[in-house]
Amino acid sequence: MELSFIVIDDSELDCFIARKIIRHTNEHLSINTFQDAQLALETIQAGIAHAAGSKTIVLLDLQMPLMNGFQFVEEFEKLPPETQKKYMVVILSSTRNTNDIHRILTYPAVNDILEKPLTREKLSSLMAKAQSR
Amino acid sequence: MSEKMKILYVDDEPDNLVGFKASLRLDYHILTAVNIPQAMSCLSNHPDIKVVFCDQRMPGTTGVEFFEEIRISYPLPVRILLTAYADVESIIDAINRGNIFRYVKKPWTEADIVSAIDEASKFYMANSMLSIKNDELQKAYNELNKFAYSVSHDIRGPLAGLLGAIDIARDVDTVEEMREMLYLMEKSLKKLDTYIISMHDYYSMQRGELKITDINFNEIMNELKAIYDVLSITNHVAFKINVKQDDTFRTDAVPLTLILNNLLSNAFKYQDKKRRNKSVEVTIEAEKTLATICIKDTGIGILGNHIGKIFNLFYRANSQEVGSGFGLYNVKSALSKINGKIEVNSVMDQGTTFKVTLPSI
Repeated sequence: MELSFIVIDDSELDCFIARKIIRHTNEHLSINTFQDAQLALETIQAGIAHAAGSKTIVLLDLQMPLMNGFQFVEEFEKLPPETQKKYMVVILSSTRNTNDIHRILTYPAVNDILEKPLTREKLSSLMAKAQSR
Repeated sequence: MSEKMKILYVDDEPDNLVGFKASLRLDYHILTAVNIPQAMSCLSNHPDIKVVFCDQRMPGTTGVEFFEEIRISYPLPVRILLTAYADVESIIDAINRGNIFRYVKKPWTEADIVSAIDEASKFYMANSMLSIKNDELQKAYNELNKFAYSVSHDIRGPLAGLLGAIDIARDVDTVEEMREMLYLMEKSLKKLDTYIISMHDYYSMQRGELKITDINFNEIMNELKAIYDVLSITNHVAFKINVKQDDTFRTDAVPLTLILNNLLSNAFKYQDKKRRNKSVEVTIEAEKTLATICIKDTGIGILGNHIGKIFNLFYRANSQEVGSGFGLYNVKSALSKINGKIEVNSVMDQGTTFKVTLPSI
């Protein structure tokens, strides 16, 4: 199956790193990065960031100003199930806060949580998991 | 403490009240009441009463019953019972239940009363200090929690970013790509540095004594102008300063500079990059007792529903990653240190004006 990526992180450096790592793994993958979660949500709602017949992995930061990761997931879960099905939400955060980690994993839409920084190893196992689903 | 301590005496015999007042009025502010309703209205009109004396034997309500009642509604004043009878049982009971602090036997001597007041006043002070300390501790705990929470995001976040960047640097082939990455790494490190500096500001605003000196607003603004001229030129933001000061103005220069510095930094940071005539305008009018400082920018503005929260610790009303969530919180702490006030006026895409008023101390 074809994979594509959406990266949502207020840090420009972290967006850059994610983009580079994904590129290094496979230079043909489509990647959209957003520093504002609201914009990412609107893009998903409009169905723009998704190539037909593919699966989009959403790498989502937790602590962001304006709309944080929790708020994003809450809004995401209000989308029609057929839209949600095309995406796989994975948290990518530097948090060590167990409350936050437990809380975000209670959302059905959240698939997994990865600790920053993103590395090729973490990405490869994530992609394998996405392919097998 | 030049003001006399307020003491309430409740007794159904007016002669006793007159005698009490006559012998103690020079050293204390004595209030009297001949019955319970009068005593109640006195307590409600004078919330700063520190000690209440009450006679045990009164028609209707006894002193012990009265104290039991006000213990809930007016917990602060220290309660002392006056009794001529050997009401041992009820007194022991009242003391044990915490309704009275101590009792004085009738007929009392002035020395008895003065010593009781001294003890009561110490007890009152200790209690109020304790409740102030408790509030401070609670606030400090809450902030400590926020700090612990921010550590993983604001300190660990940039570090994780740098580690990630170093990891991919091994595979970067072109100089352009490397430069872009170095630029982002530098930005991340600067942000971490700002966070640490702000954390230090935060600490110095919470602790530390006030050092009041004569303030020369022109001098302060000249120093700040030297710092912000660089930003003004590189970002094409006109920087206008108008200072009008005819009188001596006194306050602590450290919080004052912190306030000006943070507000200026925001005014330059949140400019609308697409706008043509960008400006930051500072107007200071210092009079003998009051200074008014206006910092007006032509920036992106603050959404109405965020304005109430911008002074909260770690609150950020903008998705650009430049903010740490410290700046305006520190401004607020600095203002409370020098008794200043702040008002915000903001129009989206037009700009924001912060108006600070400070008393001369």
